[in-house]
Amino acid sequence: MTTDALTQPADSRSMGSLLSNIFWGTSLRAKVTAGILILLVWQVGVTLFAPSFVATPIGVALAFPGVVTSKVFLIASKGTLLAVFQGLAIALVFGTVVGVAMGRMKVFDRALNFYVSGFYTMPMIALLPLLTIWFGYGGDARLATVIFAAFFSIVINVRDGARSVPPEYLEVCKAYRAKARYVWFDITVFASLPYLIAGFRLAAGRALVAAVIAEFFVSLQDGVGMFVLFNARNFNHDVAVVGVVALVAFGLMFEITMNWTTRRFFPWYRRETKAD
Amino acid sequence: MSAEAEADGQSSRIEINGVGKRYGDLQVFKDINLEFREREIVTIVGPSGCGKTTLLRCIDGLLPVNEGEIRIEGDVITQPREGVSMVFQHFGLFPWKTVRQNVGYGLKLAGAPRAEIAEKVPYYVDLVGLKGFEDAYPYQLSGGMQQRCGLARALTMEPSVLLMDEPFAAVDAQTREILQFELLKIWRMRPMTMVFVTHSIEEAVLMGDRVVVLKGRPSSVFEVIDVDLPAPRDRSTLAHPRFTEIREHVWTTLMDEVRAAEYELN
Repeated sequence: MTTDALTQPADSRSMGSLLSNIFWGTSLRAKVTAGILILLVWQVGVTLFAPSFVATPIGVALAFPGVVTSKVFLIASKGTLLAVFQGLAIALVFGTVVGVAMGRMKVFDRALNFYVSGFYTMPMIALLPLLTIWFGYGGDARLATVIFAAFFSIVINVRDGARSVPPEYLEVCKAYRAKARYVWFDITVFASLPYLIAGFRLAAGRALVAAVIAEFFVSLQDGVGMFVLFNARNFNHDVAVVGVVALVAFGLMFEITMNWTTRRFFPWYRRETKAD
Repeated sequence: MSAEAEADGQSSRIEINGVGKRYGDLQVFKDINLEFREREIVTIVGPSGCGKTTLLRCIDGLLPVNEGEIRIEGDVITQPREGVSMVFQHFGLFPWKTVRQNVGYGLKLAGAPRAEIAEKVPYYVDLVGLKGFEDAYPYQLSGGMQQRCGLARALTMEPSVLLMDEPFAAVDAQTREILQFELLKIWRMRPMTMVFVTHSIEEAVLMGDRVVVLKGRPSSVFEVIDVDLPAPRDRSTLAHPRFTEIREHVWTTLMDEVRAAEYELN
């Protein structure tokens, strides 16, 4: 018997400990040494060879507290994050519906697979000039870009998941005379949850990229992308780098939240091995 | 079926008339004729690949037959029918549902009101010995406990026909023995027509009022044996001389085929 499964509740790890796991997890010494070395090379290199406006680690660190508490930065962060979350939520709902339909009904798969694959591989930046004309130079164009970037990776993953629902589950559904809506949106969705989560992770990364690029292109004032662009062009490079660091933090935050959510709400996830 | 026959409890629940099944060119079984009576336990035994599990799936309506027809209570079976429940070798539990949710899922799919589910589920969870594990997920349960859960899900439907597809094949030997006797105990509390497919001759003789022996390629019914062992069957049955006699008889009947099947698999 694997005692681990019974003695350790799956949700015992708190969000805080997950965060510390990512950082402290393994080979702490190597990690810290590498970090210090990189910062040192950066600091010394810039001081010796670069013009004074180029960002240095010390400059970024000094600028950090002021920037992250400034109203401009907070408005920018709110704008970017809101667009990413809204876009992801919309892409998740519609992407799941389309993905399940494609995975479970051959007609949909035959009709849509070509286009979904095509759009998935197409760089969505190419569509941005069109999107700005359709949705105007504003937040709507950014939201559309985010949805566009996120939607297809969710569809593709959910489709694969829906196709690989174990036949035993479907047999049980048939034996208990399950109606189609249960087969689709209970059994299929939950059985393809590992795929859905993988697709959502991928989608989140793409969504953040899409938001930042849209902000560059549309010159959206309430966006971290624009914040970085503006400060870079005004030679406040220390401040611009704080914006970049914030984007990294957003990505990490999303990963941690996903991990925590999975453990908290889907304790059975990836634990299908029996405790014999 | 006459009203008289129905009244005395000897009416046949399931009739299998000239049934055959093919997968493409492969004839799995042919010309199967059987009648299962009400409240009777019939076990079906045969070598690997003889189609006993396929036959059970045909009885449930999960698979179509190619020849003949299967009737349950007079109705020709073309798809799963109300009043018939199946217990699977693979348990068929959903890993994202707790024991409580898995046990109640059959009723939920049948559109039963919440109050009914809330009332019946604890009773059957208790009956199969899972009390205290209502909120556990399948990954937290042993194989035996998972199958208890699968059995409870089938029983909450309060079926008149229970189909068992090698239900204890995936659990260890000791647990298997415990589950066999518990199943017999539950059956005595709530008798129903039970068709029990197994590859264990011992299990077939222990559980069955009658044992159907499938044999041949394509297989057909070779023999139907009345198991005249005293009721209730319990551990002492295993030591009964008549038990040994019947078991040896079935074994001899199947031995040549079992050997052939073994060489084929290797």
